[in-house]
Amino acid sequence: MNTIFQILSSKWMGIISASTWILTYFFARGILENDQLSEGLRLVVALIPIIPFALFLMSVLAGIRELDELQRRVHLEALAIAFPLTMLLLMLLGLVELVIPLSPDDWSYRHVWQFLPIFYFLGLAYTWRRYQ
Amino acid sequence: MKNRLKVLRAERDWSQAELADRLNVSRQTINAIETEKYDPSLPLAFQIAELFEKRIEEIFLPEKRK
Repeated sequence: MNTIFQILSSKWMGIISASTWILTYFFARGILENDQLSEGLRLVVALIPIIPFALFLMSVLAGIRELDELQRRVHLEALAIAFPLTMLLLMLLGLVELVIPLSPDDWSYRHVWQFLPIFYFLGLAYTWRRYQ
Repeated sequence: MKNRLKVLRAERDWSQAELADRLNVSRQTINAIETEKYDPSLPLAFQIAELFEKRIEEIFLPEKRK
């Protein structure tokens, strides 16, 4: 059990699972653009990224348990910045869409999730500076 | 909160990394405590006091109320 925990919390496990998740995401998107496949098969392909993502999530959780109290606080504060900012973006998108019809190719709810990690890393940079 | 961690560490000639290793925390955490940008939790404060063989109030000093 301890060995599994050590493997999951290793930096390499995080990098490998995150890379696999991103690769399978783009793989799934590429396959799903081909609408000649049956709906069942397309659904299976759409669910493939869940597996590496679950591994990534487990490695993140194991990694957080390895952090000390200040590092945990920094990550918590970064999330406290990123989460409301993403919600603000969602709210603005919804409100602006009521006024101007936005092109779904440029601006849609599908694009918003990418801002969560961006805001998170900005939050991390800001919070680390506070404690240095 | 004010503290004497830097002085106590210097008396023992330990680097921040060495102290961090002894307390099982990161070097950044030691630096943040020394520069008084971060107040440690009570368990960590006890751990620090035990390591330096002092009472908590000999290491951590409360800010004077205005």
